[in-house]
Amino acid sequence: MKNILIVSLIAITFLSCEEPYQLDEELNDGQKMVIEALLTDREEMQFVKVSQTSPFYSSGNSPRIPNATVTVSDNLGNAFSYTHNPGGSDDSIGVYLPPAGFVGVIGRTYKLQVEYDDVVYEAEDQLLPVTPVDSLTIELDEEEQEDPEDAGRFYEVLIFAEEPQDEENFYLFKFYRNDSLSFANDSDIYYSDDKLLAEQIDGIPMPVYFGVSDKAKVEAYSLSRAGYVFYNDLWSLLNNDSGGMFGPIPATPRTNLSNKALGFFQVSAVSMADIIVE
Amino acid sequence: MPNYQTNMLRFLLTGSLTFLTILVFAQEKVTLNGYIKDVDNGEELIGVTIYIPQLKAGTITNDYGFYALTVPKGTYEVQFSYIGYKVQTFTIDLSANVSRNIQLQSEAEQMAEIVITERALDENVVNVQMSKNTVNMEQVRKLPALFGEVDIIKNIQMLPGVISAGEGTSAFFVRGGSGDQNLILIDEAPVYDPSHLFGLFSVFNADVIKDSEIYKGGIPSRFGGRLSSILDVRTKDGNNKDFAVTGGIGTMASRVAVEGPIVQEKSSFIVSARRSYLDLFLRAANEDFLVHFYDVNAKLNFKPNNRNRFFVAFYTGRDVFSFGDDFGFGWGNMTGTFRWNHLFNDKLFMNTSVIASNFDYKLESKDVSQGFEWISNLQEFSVKNDLSFAINPKNELAFGYHVTGRRFAPGEVGPNAGGSIFKEAKFQHMYAVDHALYVSNQQQVSDRITVDYGVRLSIFQNVGNGDVYLYEDPHDNIRKKRTDTLHFDSWETIKAYVNLEPRFGMRYAIDQQQSVKLSYNRMVQNTHLMSAGTVPVPFNTWNPSNYYLKPQIADQVAAGYFRNFRQNMYEFSVEGYYKDFDNVTDFADNAELFFNEDISTEYRQGDSWAYGLELMVNKQKGKLTGMLSYTWSKTERKIDGVNLGRTFDANHDRRNVVNLQAAYDLNDKWTFGGAFTYSTGRPITMASGKWEYGSYNPDVITERNTHRLDAFHRIDLSVTLNPRKNLSRKWKGQWVFGVYNAYSRKNPFTVYTRTKQDDEGNVIGDGREKEARMIYLFPVLPSVTYNFKF
Repeated sequence: MKNILIVSLIAITFLSCEEPYQLDEELNDGQKMVIEALLTDREEMQFVKVSQTSPFYSSGNSPRIPNATVTVSDNLGNAFSYTHNPGGSDDSIGVYLPPAGFVGVIGRTYKLQVEYDDVVYEAEDQLLPVTPVDSLTIELDEEEQEDPEDAGRFYEVLIFAEEPQDEENFYLFKFYRNDSLSFANDSDIYYSDDKLLAEQIDGIPMPVYFGVSDKAKVEAYSLSRAGYVFYNDLWSLLNNDSGGMFGPIPATPRTNLSNKALGFFQVSAVSMADIIVE
Repeated sequence: MPNYQTNMLRFLLTGSLTFLTILVFAQEKVTLNGYIKDVDNGEELIGVTIYIPQLKAGTITNDYGFYALTVPKGTYEVQFSYIGYKVQTFTIDLSANVSRNIQLQSEAEQMAEIVITERALDENVVNVQMSKNTVNMEQVRKLPALFGEVDIIKNIQMLPGVISAGEGTSAFFVRGGSGDQNLILIDEAPVYDPSHLFGLFSVFNADVIKDSEIYKGGIPSRFGGRLSSILDVRTKDGNNKDFAVTGGIGTMASRVAVEGPIVQEKSSFIVSARRSYLDLFLRAANEDFLVHFYDVNAKLNFKPNNRNRFFVAFYTGRDVFSFGDDFGFGWGNMTGTFRWNHLFNDKLFMNTSVIASNFDYKLESKDVSQGFEWISNLQEFSVKNDLSFAINPKNELAFGYHVTGRRFAPGEVGPNAGGSIFKEAKFQHMYAVDHALYVSNQQQVSDRITVDYGVRLSIFQNVGNGDVYLYEDPHDNIRKKRTDTLHFDSWETIKAYVNLEPRFGMRYAIDQQQSVKLSYNRMVQNTHLMSAGTVPVPFNTWNPSNYYLKPQIADQVAAGYFRNFRQNMYEFSVEGYYKDFDNVTDFADNAELFFNEDISTEYRQGDSWAYGLELMVNKQKGKLTGMLSYTWSKTERKIDGVNLGRTFDANHDRRNVVNLQAAYDLNDKWTFGGAFTYSTGRPITMASGKWEYGSYNPDVITERNTHRLDAFHRIDLSVTLNPRKNLSRKWKGQWVFGVYNAYSRKNPFTVYTRTKQDDEGNVIGDGREKEARMIYLFPVLPSVTYNFKF
């Protein structure tokens, strides 16, 4: 909503301008722990990334923590210890992976423990089933064809699914163009509750356009209510009008992690579908 | 608190004893009363001073232009004086009750003529009421305005003790109160959102406004329902002598008003309309984004005799936005007032009003797969009975009863096309009934001391039909675990709140030119805006006090010194206040206030306190007129569950504010206007670092409002040209040229952060680098407006 407000106000005044603004560096107040963890019912879609916050104007990756102890246990008493960067790749410093073959099981509750510098950070989340994506179809967008933002890309990919009406579901979507994660806007997060969703989800377009021979892929993740809250808060923070002019004052996203760590332990079932534009 | 109750009881007892004493002695007196009007157009004048120097007794006309003064039998010189009008003095034989309607002549028409003024009593010094400002429309018209569109809210924002959120908004904040703590009335009907175009303009069309007053403290007992201020806007009654057409063509909008008599001197009407035409420019520029707003005001009044007067007033206004064929939204207010003034006898005056108000907004998407329509509204209906009784020259009693019913419909959403992914959903409605009884007496205790004391009893009920959800933990907004549902039938009380609101004011006259005043008021607010932002927007909904939400309460004490110089040419005042808020409504960090059935889990109520000092110099007469004010203030909040329970500066906290407005009438052809404003920057919550989550780079947020935007300052200028040929013609034209933000100061509207991008919005750098950007709304901005009258 606040985006609409700011955009409208700017459009009305049509004179308003923007310019770079220098933030007060003194506000930096030490490093905090950041944990980004994903546990799903699919192999290869598992990781725990441990890092720290960095100064606002720094460049490059934030500091990674390679020497934490990471374990996951489920409500049946099984425990799994994670290994730091088993592939030894430079990109994956601070990334911990479970034993090969590990997958989450729908219905179970998982508990994450990250120990670093004598502090234990814990989180719990449940693996809920996900609504399958039925099919994808391709449609030419004539308006976009007239003036494509990206040369040759004017095909919409439409998603079809059936939303179960007798249960409460929360979703997170990720969209890929030729296997690279794509957004209409870099601060977009595609998540939803089902309060207002009807049973027939017929033809919601993916947020980006595709060209001939592009591969389109969607991943749908189930979220717990806590996961929905986290992504909703994260979206609000990323898209805040800063300082609560019209919208709320920016705040730290609520998380399932303990000890004031930032980030989230997301446990999801995943359904996916892809199509090649022809 | 038993102690408080005892005090209250004592206060009430003393009050009624005083009334009794007064009634006994009242019999030997006679009463002078009547209405006071403008001689040219028959408009009733509010706040005219009526003064009998021999007795050192006086009064002012009430909101309906009526006055009543009870004095011992005799023959007296009676003065009638009003700012901007010539003083008139009559010798009146008061051997029996006398009704005398007076017509005052405006000074504006004969600028060159010297006005002989006996020392007029000045409201500023003499009146018991403090912390009140009147916006003089004549003066406002001489001052610069954004896009040349005269706007009283923008002038209200320039008053001492009033803060604006920045430019381009209609929100204002009075003495530490938040944006929803102002009761905004148009002809007694509440306006729930006074903004057009998100606040660039207000809903008040300056052409039809007769008078507007804002009470910031010492609020009279007849007002209630909001904590911080009452903005009372009255529209014109319409010229009851001649037909007249006024209008204007501006940069942003045009307006026209027609007024005239229906029955000479007995009945008149006024109809006015205003519409913006920004959409025409946008359409011409081939933009998909279109926007417009309009206002229509109409008023009819009928005065069959001096004892009975009837008014019907109507207002409607709307904003309509559309983005191509796909998406649109709009909002609007509609109010209606029926009013009956009745004079029972020479001393007892009654005003009965029946008021209806509706505010609604609508969002709509016509997308094939994601089409929806969202509608929300708030309706209010009330009946008010206000009486004033001039007991004797030393006592004037006011009492009344108000009843209000409200229906809150927070939202109803549904698909608006067959293939939409949305289903129908509806929020439950909320209902509230509010009774208020008040009584107050203004008593002249001695030559020097006058007091005004009263009390308002507010009885508020949140009623069914409706469901109340019970939670395992009513503050857990993550899990929101419901344990039970309580059902209430229609009219069944869900929760009732009874509050006694004492009001007190005192004036001590040091001499004719200076006085000291004190006031105390308790205010109670039972409607709460569901907004976690600083500036209320039309898409915010309101909730009544309910099972979870307690009434907000504010106690304010204020003291001031008032002095006039050079025969009331200059008014000077200094006022200090301390205001304590209980149960001030705020929301949890990250609160979800849009479409949340469990919104009660987001409520957080707590403490706030505000104090400040306001200095003002006002020059109301002469070629150069204007106002200079300085305000020092501080506003803090401490609320459990907000900002980790730590004290923080309120969003509308500003340490220093300076405002200067001046107009200079060079001659009858040229008038120059200027305004300067300076204020400490707005508090803002800023990033103190960043973190990584997937491809996102969110900010680290530590505490609320620890940073300040740069100070805000700006100069606006205007020139008004009244061509000399006006004098000989019926058609009177006027040109107003303005420059907004004359030195093109880049005042920050807001600051936001993003991943480093180029101008086209493509991410640059390593994808982890961030930058902060400042948005400012208006560079230097010229405007031209043409006004006419015939």
